[in-house]
Amino acid sequence: MTAASSSREAETNTAAGRRDVFHYALRRFGVYLFTLWAAITVAFFVFRLVPGDPMNILLGNLTRAEGRQRDKAAEEALIAHYRQIFGMDEPLPLQYVNYLRKAVLGGLDLGPSFVEYPAQTKDLVFRRMPWTIGIFTTSVLLAWILGTGLGALIGWLQRSRLSKLAVLLSTLLQITPVYLVALGLIIYVGYSWRLLPAGGPYARHLQPAWTWEFISSLLTHAILPMLSNIIVIGAGFTLGMRALMISVLGEDYLTFARAKGLSPYTVLKDYAFRNALIPQVTALAIIVGATLNGTFIIEVLFQLPGLGTLFVQAMGLRDFNTMQAVVLFSIFAVLTLTLIVDLALPLLDPRVRRAA
Amino acid sequence: MPALLEIRGLSAGLRGRRAVTEVVSHVDLDVQAGEILGVVGESGCGKSTLATAIMRLLVPPQVLQSGALTLRLNDGKTFELLKLSESELRELRWRHLSYIPQGSMNSLNPVLRVGRQMMDTLLQHGLSSDEAYKRSVEALELVNLERKLLDSYPHELSGGMRQRVIIAAAVSMRPALIVADELTTALDVVTQRQILQELAAIRDELGATILLITHDMGVVAQVADRVAVMYAGKIAELGTVNGIFEAPLHPYSQGLIGSIPRGGGQRVEGLPGEAPSPWNYPSGCRFHPRCPQAFSPCQEQAPALLPQAAERWTACHLYDAEVAADA
Repeated sequence: MTAASSSREAETNTAAGRRDVFHYALRRFGVYLFTLWAAITVAFFVFRLVPGDPMNILLGNLTRAEGRQRDKAAEEALIAHYRQIFGMDEPLPLQYVNYLRKAVLGGLDLGPSFVEYPAQTKDLVFRRMPWTIGIFTTSVLLAWILGTGLGALIGWLQRSRLSKLAVLLSTLLQITPVYLVALGLIIYVGYSWRLLPAGGPYARHLQPAWTWEFISSLLTHAILPMLSNIIVIGAGFTLGMRALMISVLGEDYLTFARAKGLSPYTVLKDYAFRNALIPQVTALAIIVGATLNGTFIIEVLFQLPGLGTLFVQAMGLRDFNTMQAVVLFSIFAVLTLTLIVDLALPLLDPRVRRAA
Repeated sequence: MPALLEIRGLSAGLRGRRAVTEVVSHVDLDVQAGEILGVVGESGCGKSTLATAIMRLLVPPQVLQSGALTLRLNDGKTFELLKLSESELRELRWRHLSYIPQGSMNSLNPVLRVGRQMMDTLLQHGLSSDEAYKRSVEALELVNLERKLLDSYPHELSGGMRQRVIIAAAVSMRPALIVADELTTALDVVTQRQILQELAAIRDELGATILLITHDMGVVAQVADRVAVMYAGKIAELGTVNGIFEAPLHPYSQGLIGSIPRGGGQRVEGLPGEAPSPWNYPSGCRFHPRCPQAFSPCQEQAPALLPQAAERWTACHLYDAEVAADA
C-alpha cells in the first residue's frame, strides 16, 4: 500500500519524527538520572534516622561471642575504631558526600557490610540480585501478558456472563494481599497436597551446576513464588485492561470502525486493543515500582536467597550499608525497568512522538 | 419511482430497568435516490437515534423496537436492513451504505495513519491494495485534500481536515446512501460552508443520496432538497426546502424558521419552553404544551402525518379537516 505513497514530504516527516523521538528519549533519560540521585539521597538520610546504633549491636554480638567481661574503656576504643573504618566518625554531610563520591567514582563502592565485614555490600547484593530480578521480572511480565490478554477479552465481551464472573474473581484476587496468596499456596499446594516444593531455591541435596537435574529443581521451586505474584498482579492488570477496553469501546472511532464494515477481529485488534494498550503499558511502569516489596515478602516466605531476605537480615542488625545497598539496587532496577517501558511508548502512540 | 430507502414504522428506544422508553416513534420516511434529505430538530428529538438505527449501530441500552428498513439499489437489488445478519451487514456497509458520525473529531483511530484507516475498509471489501490506494486518493481529491495526508496521523490534522477525511472515507466506495449525522457541528462557519459545498458536489459527481441529520436550519437551507422536521421522536412536517421555508404549516416548523437570525435589526423569535425528554413525552400531540395554536383535541389525540399539498406532509390537527370540524 506504500507503493506510490512515498513523497519527499513523507520523508522529511519521518526525519522530524525521529528527531522528536530522540529528544523524548534524551529528556526521559535526564529524568531517570535525577530520580536516581534523589532516591540515593533520601535512602542515605532515612537509614541514619532509624533509632539504634549499629556499633552497639555489633559490639554486643562481639562480646557475647567472645564471652569476656565488658570493659568500658576498651569498648569505647573499639567503637571509635569501627566508626573510623566505616567512615562514621565524620559529620553527616561529609559522610554523604563521601558516599556519593565512592558510589559514582569508585565503581559502585557502597562500603563494607557492618556485619559481614570486610565483605563489600556490593558483592552481597550482586550475589542475591539474580534471584530477585529473575522472580520479579518474569512474574510481572507474565502477569502483564496474561492480564492484558484476559482483560482485553472480558472487556470486549463485557456483557457475557462469563465475563462478569471473571471480573468478580479478579476483584477478589486483586484485593487479597500477596502474602496471603503465598501462604495459601505454601500450605495447600506445598504441604497438604505436596504437588510442588514450597521452600528454598532448589532441592537441598543439589549443588548449582549446569545439569538438567539442578535446572529442573530450580524451575519447580520457582513456580509457587512466581505464581503468588502472578495471581495478585495479574488480577490487577486484568481489571485495568478490562476498564480500558470498555472505555475505548465507547469511543467514536469504534462506532466508525463498525460502521465501515470491518471484521470484528480487525476492530478488536487495530482499533480497540491498540488504543487500550497504551495506558496499559504505562500501568506496567507504575506497577513495577509498587510490586517489588511484594516480591521481597515472597522471598522471605519461600526462603529464597534474594534481596528481600538480605534486607530483612540487615534490618535486624542495623546494617545500614547493606540496607542502603539493597534499596539502591532495587531503586535502580525499578527505575531502569520503568525507563525501558517509557521508551517503548513512542512505538505505540504516535502522539507521544510529537509531544517532545 | 420507488424510494432508495424506505423507512416504515421505525421505533427505537432506551431499555430501562422496567420498560423501554421510546425515543423515535413510528417514523415513516422515504429517501429518494439522488436527493439530499435534511432531518432537522432540536437536541434530543431522536434524530441521531434515527440515524444510528438506520445504520444498525444501536448499542445497548438503545434498542430497536419495530419497523422495517428497505434499501433498493438502482441495479434492482433490495435489502431488508433490519433482517440482515451481522456478516451480511458488514458486506453492505461502506459498499452501499456509509455513515458520517456525529463527533467526527474523534472518529479516527489515533494510532493508525489516515491511509491505513481509509484502506483497511477497502481491502476488507475485496479491493486490491493498488485499487484501494487509488480510490482513497480519488476520494481525498473530492474533498480537496492532498494525497500526502494518507501518511499523517489524525492528531496532525485540523478539525476541518479530519471532517474531510471522514467524508472522503465515507464516499470512497461510492455508496448509494450516506447517512451524515451533524456533519458540520464542530466547525467554524467558513469551513462549514466549504464542506457543505463539497458535499453537494459529491452528490452531483457520484450520484449519491445523502440523509443529512442536523439541528441547524441554515445547513438544511444551504444544501438539502427536502427536509423532514422532527419533534419529540416524530416527524412533524415533511416537504421541499423551498416549500417549508416559504410557507411552514406546522407551528413547530414556523417556530424553527422564525428563530433563524435574518439580520436587518429584526429580533429573533425563539420558541418558548424546551423540548420534552423521551421519559415524559406529552400525551396527544407532543408539541401541544409549547404550541401557540393548540386547541382541545391536541391534548388527547396524536395527529397523523397527512398530505397537505404536493410534496408536503404535516402532522397537525390544524390541517386535519375532520378533527377541526369536531372541535
